Amino acid sequence: MLDEKEFIQQLLNPKTQNDAFQKLLHTYQKPLYNHIRNIVLSHDDTDDVLQNTFIKVFQNLKNFKGESKLFSWMYRIATNEALTFLNQKAKKSGISSETLQNKAIDNLKADVYFDGNEIQIALQKAIVTLPEKQQLVFKMKYFEELKYEEISEILGTSVGALKASYHHAVKKIESLLTTN
Amino acid sequence: MKEFKLNTNPKIESGFKTPEDLYFEKFSANLLEQLPKNEPKTISLFQKKKTIIMMVAAVFVLALAIPSLLNNANRYNELDTTTLENYISYQSNVNQYDLINALDEEDINSLGTNIALEDQTIEDILVTNNNLEQYIIE
Repeated sequence: MLDEKEFIQQLLNPKTQNDAFQKLLHTYQKPLYNHIRNIVLSHDDTDDVLQNTFIKVFQNLKNFKGESKLFSWMYRIATNEALTFLNQKAKKSGISSETLQNKAIDNLKADVYFDGNEIQIALQKAIVTLPEKQQLVFKMKYFEELKYEEISEILGTSVGALKASYHHAVKKIESLLTTN
Repeated sequence: MKEFKLNTNPKIESGFKTPEDLYFEKFSANLLEQLPKNEPKTISLFQKKKTIIMMVAAVFVLALAIPSLLNNANRYNELDTTTLENYISYQSNVNQYDLINALDEEDINSLGTNIALEDQTIEDILVTNNNLEQYIIE
């Protein structure tokens, strides 16, 4: 991609905005799909959240100050959208977020965009038992292989705190899976 | 019991499959349709004509309304009898001499019309109306 500042200018300029946004969409739709999918678990829900994310990105381009990288700004929007979606869905169904996620995991076997086996299902069930922040850190580090510095910019948490969260998450998951 | 370790090789994947390119192509197309358009504002030819038509109509309405407004204004200049009586009664600056001066020959002749009254009727009026005595003295 072009120099980020130049690319942001293209996104803000009404004449070049459409072309630039298509480039942005092409570059980020797959990584953001994977990021959102890891949080909301279902493909259909991911589709909705991904759409909302890009619409929000487009609407807020004029407010993007360039203080953070475009990548982390978009990941932050996607994360917030995914978490809001999960909480709203749980509230509407009158169940906890953990119960909702467990139901989504049970439905994964019938999902055409899931090819995991019993180990993957067990791992997902173990992740759901973690606090929200630890879940996020674990998924971004273990599955998406993002650097701590990148996660820090997305979640607004220090690298030290992230390392501690990841360490606790790994220990708890290993302990749960060893017992089961 | 076998201890479970996450840092195995190969590591455990999430199990989620990234959809094929066709999905993302459709997704992009749908999304771009939903985005608000940034088209420049255009004023259609009809819109321009509409403004001119509205202006001409406004001139016609004004042309028709002005005579009617003027008539209304003239109507207010004509005083009704009650207003005149009230003005004369309560306006301290106007006295009977002013009124006399204002009367011309014709007015005096018209006041001199004979009224056929019987004595009894006059007596009755004088008895029932106390103010009349005061007027006669004046």
